[in-house]
Amino acid sequence: MTAAVRSRNPGKRRRENRAALDYPLLVCALGLLAFGLVMVSSASMSIAERCCGDPFFYTMRHVMALTLALTAGFVAYKVPTAWWERYGSWIFLASIGILVLVLIPGIGREVNGAIRWIPLGPLNLQPSELVKLFAIIYVASYMVRHADKMTSQISGFIRPMVLIGIAAALILMQPDFGTTAVMIATVMALLYLGGASLMPFVFLLGVIATGLVALVVLSPYRWARVTAFLDPWQDPYASGYQLSQGLIAFGRGEWLGVGLGNGIQKQFFLPEAHTDFLAAVIGEELGLLGMMLLIGAFAFVTWRAISIGMRAEAVKRPFESYVAQGIGIWLGLQSVVNIGVNVGILPTKGLTLPFLSYGSNSLIVGCMAIAILLRIDALVRQLEREAGPKRGLRWARA
Amino acid sequence: MATHSRRGRRVASRRSKPNLVLRRRVLTAALSLAFVSLSAGVFYRQIIETDFLQEQGALRYLRAAEIAARRGMITDRNGEPLAVSTPVETVSANPGKLLDDSAAVSALAGALDMDAERLRAKVIANKDRQFIYVKRRVTLSEAEAVKAVVAERKLEGIGFEKEYRRYYPGAEFFAHVIGFTDIEDRGQEGIELAYDDALKAEPGLHHVIRDGRGRVVQEVEQIRPPRPGTDLTLSLDRRLQFLAHRELAAAVKEHRAKAGTAVVLDVATGEVLAMVNQPSFNPNMDRSGGSEQRRNRALTDVMEPGSTMKPLVVAAALEKRLISPRTPIATAPGYYKVGRNTVRDVHNYGSLDVTGVITKSSNVGVVKIAQRMAYSDLWHIYDQVGFGHPTGVGFPGESGGLLRHYSNWRPFEHATMAFGYGLSVTALQLAQAYSVIAADGVKRPVTLVKRDAASLAALKGTSVLSPATARKVRAMMETVVSDKGTAAKAQITGYRAAGKTGTAKKAGKSGYRGRRYQSVFAGFVPAGQPRLVMVVMIDEPGGKSYYGGTVAAPVFQKVMQGALRLFNIPPDDPMPSMLLAHRESAQ
Repeated sequence: MTAAVRSRNPGKRRRENRAALDYPLLVCALGLLAFGLVMVSSASMSIAERCCGDPFFYTMRHVMALTLALTAGFVAYKVPTAWWERYGSWIFLASIGILVLVLIPGIGREVNGAIRWIPLGPLNLQPSELVKLFAIIYVASYMVRHADKMTSQISGFIRPMVLIGIAAALILMQPDFGTTAVMIATVMALLYLGGASLMPFVFLLGVIATGLVALVVLSPYRWARVTAFLDPWQDPYASGYQLSQGLIAFGRGEWLGVGLGNGIQKQFFLPEAHTDFLAAVIGEELGLLGMMLLIGAFAFVTWRAISIGMRAEAVKRPFESYVAQGIGIWLGLQSVVNIGVNVGILPTKGLTLPFLSYGSNSLIVGCMAIAILLRIDALVRQLEREAGPKRGLRWARA
Repeated sequence: MATHSRRGRRVASRRSKPNLVLRRRVLTAALSLAFVSLSAGVFYRQIIETDFLQEQGALRYLRAAEIAARRGMITDRNGEPLAVSTPVETVSANPGKLLDDSAAVSALAGALDMDAERLRAKVIANKDRQFIYVKRRVTLSEAEAVKAVVAERKLEGIGFEKEYRRYYPGAEFFAHVIGFTDIEDRGQEGIELAYDDALKAEPGLHHVIRDGRGRVVQEVEQIRPPRPGTDLTLSLDRRLQFLAHRELAAAVKEHRAKAGTAVVLDVATGEVLAMVNQPSFNPNMDRSGGSEQRRNRALTDVMEPGSTMKPLVVAAALEKRLISPRTPIATAPGYYKVGRNTVRDVHNYGSLDVTGVITKSSNVGVVKIAQRMAYSDLWHIYDQVGFGHPTGVGFPGESGGLLRHYSNWRPFEHATMAFGYGLSVTALQLAQAYSVIAADGVKRPVTLVKRDAASLAALKGTSVLSPATARKVRAMMETVVSDKGTAAKAQITGYRAAGKTGTAKKAGKSGYRGRRYQSVFAGFVPAGQPRLVMVVMIDEPGGKSYYGGTVAAPVFQKVMQGALRLFNIPPDDPMPSMLLAHRESAQ
């Protein structure tokens, strides 16, 4: 049968033999990581020099975080997807436990009014970053285990949402509005993909929307952030400060940017230039061209993840399929939200730019996600080889 | 097989999840839409809205800021600094960063020699601000100490700004001439004001990027480079100035005088070598003292010159060949009626010759000499030696004195003009007039700025008297400093000195009543070939002695003695030293 396959489609055979890994995805992710290192260095240098007397203060830490992240990615690649499927729920429960720990005074560390970190020696653990990945794995495994309930019963939707809701509530208490939103949106998109019935879906969406609106209205600083996003020039020195500075950065960039390292906005005007507003620095220094390449790279990663998921589904691996698509949605969503916040089309939230922003947890979880994608891709390739080509697969491969 | 699987899926879709593919497509479309609208948003900001955003940016980070520039240095004729701008630093801090670090506040206060408690209170009071001045205009060494503290404790938010502070090494010795600047580094008095245009530094202008804390982060472009002020070399000699100041201060103190002034001129160049006043002030310290301390009396205050005018009257008469030094003048009986007024001598000197009139300072004699001339002759000599006109040193507040035109004179005024009443002059004008006699009749403009080679070459004098007349007058004035004259106390061993005393009654509200005098001595050394002219005026000596010969002449003697040594001027009269030796051996 193998021989028959080969004779039928020699072009495909060559490609499969050559690529045991999804090299385009790997190259794209590594490229984003390297680009992130360059941009974090550029964005943080003047701040680092002023605060710590060493312009490479943040760069060195970023390099260390990258080392850690690549190691974590390597380890995650070595873990079989079956392991994630079996223990996914427990990992998610454990991460909810850590989210509780963060909120206990004395354990969690407060920075700028938010308690998001647990100090672990030189490293600060930020569980809300990891929870996003683990929630996808948990929901994926749930959807596989309860595949029959998913489409027929409302509980198929509600049960996973209970745990997700607890995690979301804990993250909101930190408070971390952006991460909550991205996590819930990802999980709901995943459930939607998995065929959950629309009625509870719409209902819950309404409840969440109402809750979020209430939260925004009741919590003045978020309200200020929302109004700042609508018109940052209304109050450009208070609530609209960060965004207006970010917009100025983009405006200065024009087509090709002011040149790497020549940005002005990062010099004490733009708070969080090396973390949440890194895209603004890229926009200023590398212009529209740099931004288009960046957005293109994220779109590519998203598309690649979803297509891996579709191929996994085709070889009857629903868990891997859901995980891959979930990761794709999550990375796409988070990058869109981050850049969208930077250019002022979405309200200001504390979200990192995946693979680029300074922050070890974000890098680690990003690398793990890519590693899991690569692992799934490798598995799918193997299964495809074993099963032989299927006509129904062509459109997914295109 | 393939057909079967497709059919199977379709069947399954119909039963339980009819639109799974559709859902995926919806989601993919939604994500694609998100990416596309994101790109559109970026395009809008970067290309369409760019002008507005760049303008907004420029409003925030671009500032035109001044670059501190150094004001010109003022030195004496030998390059000794008299007014210098020293770089200083202003230390600022972000109070929020210091709030919890009490030890750092103490360390900072220690480095700046401040009270730690007060600094702490200042930090706490401004804790909501981003910026406070810790201390303004500190010395470089203090700034270094602060930088050490910052490095040691890894402090944040401490900033430094470069400024200049004016410092006057000459202190009270030069205070009146130099003047001082205000906090904005602009000249307020004296040379600092007169030469402000040259001295003042033009701060540069640059576009700088300022961070949110208002501090300069980076220079974008320099619009105008800073232009440091031009240095200025004065004609004053620091050593002579010190000496003159010391002796004048001692005399003012000794005679319990109200004030005093002294001027030394270089005969050959018209340069002012020393100009001192009492009382004085220290421009480096509190300048709250009034104008009594601050005025440069040598230029701003006028006096009636009194008997110091007599050599000029004689010179004018000699020039007109109306008299010779030996012409006899009858001064008996010691007074002389001019109209309804009477001119008096201190004693009845009987019959004197012209030289004797100068030696004894006879008012009667000099009036009789003056009466041989027309009003205009007397007025001309006074006018030509510079009375009634500012000297041209360009000093702020300089008085030109008062010399009324002869067409308005009455006979008695003509008489009083001859012995120095009815006109007023400044000490510098008097010194300038005497320098005409000293320079063989040539008047050269006086200056407070050192003449360089080019300016010396271009220096032109106007001839006022013939050299012969000047020599004759000098010979007469030498007799004043002799044992027979009124200023024996001006004698300098080894040198021939010449001069004239003056003791003018000060005019008050009720005329020339009351015992208020101005004791003056004006003279030059060495008498044969004068090099230096000096005028000393002591205002209202409070002691018993008030004559120019006893109050002002000793100051001349002490200062000139030192000056002759300072300038290596060879002795021109070896005889007195032999006489002195003779006297000493006889004792």
